[in-house]
Amino acid sequence: MTEFDVSADVEAVVEDTELPEELKAEVYRSVEERDASVEQADEIARAVEHRYLDTRVDALDPVGTVSAQSIGEPGTQLTMNTFHYAGVAEIDVTQGLPRLIELVDARKTPDTPTMTVHLDDEYAADREKAHEVVWKIEATKILALGDISTNVADMRVHIDLNPDTLQERWPTVDSVDEIAGEVAGIIEDSLGVKTVQQGTNVEFGPEEPSYRDLLQLVEELRDVTFKGIEEVSRVVIRKEETEDGEEFVLYTEGSAFGDVLSIEGVDASRTTCNNIHEIHSELGIEAAREIIIEETKTTLEEQGLDDVNVRHLMLVADIMTNRGEIESIGRHGISGSKESVLARAAFEVTVNHLLDAAIHGEVDDLNGVTENVIVGKPIKLGTGDVNLKMGSTSRSSQAD
Amino acid sequence: MVDVSQHELVPEHVVLDEDELQDVLDEYDIDRTDLPKIKRTDPALPDEAEMGNVVKIIRESRTTDTAVVYRLVVD
Repeated sequence: MTEFDVSADVEAVVEDTELPEELKAEVYRSVEERDASVEQADEIARAVEHRYLDTRVDALDPVGTVSAQSIGEPGTQLTMNTFHYAGVAEIDVTQGLPRLIELVDARKTPDTPTMTVHLDDEYAADREKAHEVVWKIEATKILALGDISTNVADMRVHIDLNPDTLQERWPTVDSVDEIAGEVAGIIEDSLGVKTVQQGTNVEFGPEEPSYRDLLQLVEELRDVTFKGIEEVSRVVIRKEETEDGEEFVLYTEGSAFGDVLSIEGVDASRTTCNNIHEIHSELGIEAAREIIIEETKTTLEEQGLDDVNVRHLMLVADIMTNRGEIESIGRHGISGSKESVLARAAFEVTVNHLLDAAIHGEVDDLNGVTENVIVGKPIKLGTGDVNLKMGSTSRSSQAD
Repeated sequence: MVDVSQHELVPEHVVLDEDELQDVLDEYDIDRTDLPKIKRTDPALPDEAEMGNVVKIIRESRTTDTAVVYRLVVD
């Protein structure tokens, strides 16, 4: 049954244990490697099983508290300030404590949004093709395309487009004139002016001669996006090693995950971004859970804290996504929506919670930890949730 | 439109029929409202999933081979 070269007896012995698949595979691997006998295999399997059962979480263990401490302690060693990301080509990414806070607070937009864009086969292999995708993603503003000059005497704005840049950024269009026409069209649409185009020269001006309107138009012109995605200000191409050769991967400054996924040449199955809300709205709650784990994990790992067990991060992600939408850990999220009044009051803004609860006649069932500590009852965790009774073991013995 | 289910971050979602669901609820001795939730508008949800259905999610787990979880479809 297994992919390993072990005898049927060994398999029977290992399958008989309570081990999960991954550990069974590990046992098979060891047995195969060392060519152990059935007795030895049995001993190994029993030992591993014993250790596995021993390290499992006990019933009524406060896993949340353990997780909080396990993330909190290494958290004290995280860098407090952001600095430039040395790893991936000059893209600045928030790291350390600010990033971790950003994640558990579930901020709507991260401080430094970024996407990792993987490309489809043919685009990933060829730098030229990869560049085609870059121009579809990176926002192209007028300053990148040519020079603007204002003629105050005639009240005209004059743009001298650079034909080489045009050709480079619109690789699929053959004639430069056509591209310039397209640019002029975008200017007309977004600024609401009439343009005059001659070759790569585009000219326009305000309807009524007005110095203020003229300057206003130039201001607005600078903000117009001619190609690419508004939110993405910069794209960096990197060549990366993969299992089968090399591929080009794009890193962006700014993110628009939904828009990028539908661009031709983008591998929509591997592309990701660091905004958990964008992942949530495009790929759903399960993907959001996955990205929260991944992001918290890499944040800790980058600071050399890779010994935080992933189970703690998984618990955090599970809690944050439990209600089908991303909730932050804090007053506005998990802690603020606790059922118990006393637990909420103990966390923040005590008086408001107590007052509201009194007005609405709320009842506290005293099920959680905090509220029981407050009223001085044993908490319902560990030995606190077990009742022991003295007495005889069976009725039949009493009858004798 | 992009096929969301093809993305590597998205695990398999299957709508559970009532019999299977009953087995699950019996096994854990819980009510269906005790399950984690998933929004009806979730992009990864199969088309046939309706409010009140339970979806079975088969994740590739970091700690074991695959992990099966359930989510109740809510509004």
